[in-house]
Amino acid sequence: MDLRKPSGYFFCLLGVVLTLLGVAAPGMRAPLTDINVNLYVGIAMLVFGIILLLLARRAAA
Amino acid sequence: MNLQGVDYFILLLYFAFVLGIGWYLKRTVATSADFLTSQHSVPVWITSLAFVAANLGAQELIGMCASGAKYGIMTAHFYWVGAVPAMVFMGVFMMPFYFGSRARSVPEYLKLRFDEKTRGLNAISFAVMTVFSSGISMYALGLLLRLVLGWSFTASVLLSAAIVLIYTLLGGLTSAIYNEVLQFFLIVIGFSPLAILSVTRAGGWEGLRSRLPEVMTSAWRYMGQPAENPMGIDTFGMVAGLGFVLSFGYWCTNFLVVQRALAARNMAEGRLTPLIGAFPKMFMPFIVIVPGIAAVALSHMGLNYDLPRKGAGFDYDQVLTTLMAQFYPAGLLGVGLTGLMASFMSGMAGNVTAFNTVFTYDIYQSYIRKNAADSHYLTVGRVATIAGVLLSIGCAYLTALYNNILDLLQLVFGFVNAPLFATFLLGMFWKRASANGAFYGLLCGTAAAAATHGLTVAEGKGGWITPLATYPSSMAQNFWVAIWAFTVCFLVTITVSLMTKPKEVAELKGLVWGVTPIPHDGTVPWWKKPVLLGSVALGVVLILNWIFR
Repeated sequence: MDLRKPSGYFFCLLGVVLTLLGVAAPGMRAPLTDINVNLYVGIAMLVFGIILLLLARRAAA
Repeated sequence: MNLQGVDYFILLLYFAFVLGIGWYLKRTVATSADFLTSQHSVPVWITSLAFVAANLGAQELIGMCASGAKYGIMTAHFYWVGAVPAMVFMGVFMMPFYFGSRARSVPEYLKLRFDEKTRGLNAISFAVMTVFSSGISMYALGLLLRLVLGWSFTASVLLSAAIVLIYTLLGGLTSAIYNEVLQFFLIVIGFSPLAILSVTRAGGWEGLRSRLPEVMTSAWRYMGQPAENPMGIDTFGMVAGLGFVLSFGYWCTNFLVVQRALAARNMAEGRLTPLIGAFPKMFMPFIVIVPGIAAVALSHMGLNYDLPRKGAGFDYDQVLTTLMAQFYPAGLLGVGLTGLMASFMSGMAGNVTAFNTVFTYDIYQSYIRKNAADSHYLTVGRVATIAGVLLSIGCAYLTALYNNILDLLQLVFGFVNAPLFATFLLGMFWKRASANGAFYGLLCGTAAAAATHGLTVAEGKGGWITPLATYPSSMAQNFWVAIWAFTVCFLVTITVSLMTKPKEVAELKGLVWGVTPIPHDGTVPWWKKPVLLGSVALGVVLILNWIFR
């Protein structure tokens, strides 16, 4: 098993959930945050997940 | 802290993936060696991250954040003076002997290099210690989830234990290692936002420095005298006790981490495992320690945030979770909580997989039933996995009697691990070191550790023989316990070795410096050359020490 694949899927899924949450509820804040952290962390996770999947695909090819 | 539906969804998604990985790897397990050692099948990037992640348990995340708030950036010495130099030493100097000996475990190396009784002593003390560490991890998890989320202690302990048990039973060590890497990613991604958000809110590093006493943001400036810093330790105690004895003892001889390097595909990759792992390791303080320092600054800023309290003092172990509640909205909070769960699981799975291997090969196969069919040992390995989890649960309830998780762990390591490094150092680099020398050295070293603890007092702990001296902090006491254990073991091993018969040189092939072939690096790129890669790691760590001096 190439671990990059399941990890990639996991972070893509997690990234999509957080990004959607960030878009759907852009005003959601914790007491001390003043930015839409769900959106930014979601996008970062999505990018990380995609990189893992691309690396796995390159290794398989 | 209130969780929303989305947070529970993220937690469930994570459970599904770790169990799925275990389920998928079930097909790789046919023999006891597949189950317990992975049969040199794991790629080097995975062993390297697992090497770091197996140690990234509850103690690390909660304890390091707590120490950050209590002691400041000095806590980073656990990484920059402790872990990284030891990991470099392990990769450059020690892995050739672990691999060259073909031992399946650390106690088995001791059997090959010395004798049966040295192995027995190490195997049994290690087995007890692993179960204990795993129990501490669980206790921390149960306590935290009860305090923060109001979950039942027993329910959260049993649930997390059950998940770890299922995936390690299914795919054995390979499953534990693969999941540790997923857990490592999750911990880093789940907690870096906390570091960034909390430090930014407190005005960046300069903001932290202006809001806190200078000792909190200086790693070295206040190390001249124990009285100058909150850790109560001077430079010698720090470098010798933590940097040399405790860290080298842990990273070079603790089977929990050594096992990850031994799962690598060949000696070259086994040597690279701790060296590559050193790079993420040296940056972990920014994720695990710095938020704790930021918490203290934030509590001075009139933001309606105060450090968590318990009675008259602070409850540092809750700093991490109170920060999460302040900075993470629903969604990211689920990720952070899942990261916390992941750290508990990686720590626990690391302990359980080390325990089952030592029990099966070094205790059961050596003392209980020697020449059974392999399928029998596979069954024993699986039963040992279940027993390890059950014993850990028992220890979790036992741990409730003690207070500071990190100090307690250091104490246990001091008794068991500190003398061990002297034994390995002499065993691997001095052909003359004899079996009896090693055995009595270890016994005397452990006794010296216990005696030091029994004769000194710090923060009301120790002094159970008769209190002769006082240390300003438990940490200082732990470091000195380790220094004495190491010194006594080192001297006794040499003395007894000189009085007893050494092993024949022919028997030491592959086990000792001078009679073990070290493969030539050849024409591989620089980052595959252990000495070069290790030097780069040490160079970067020196720079980090300088920046945060």
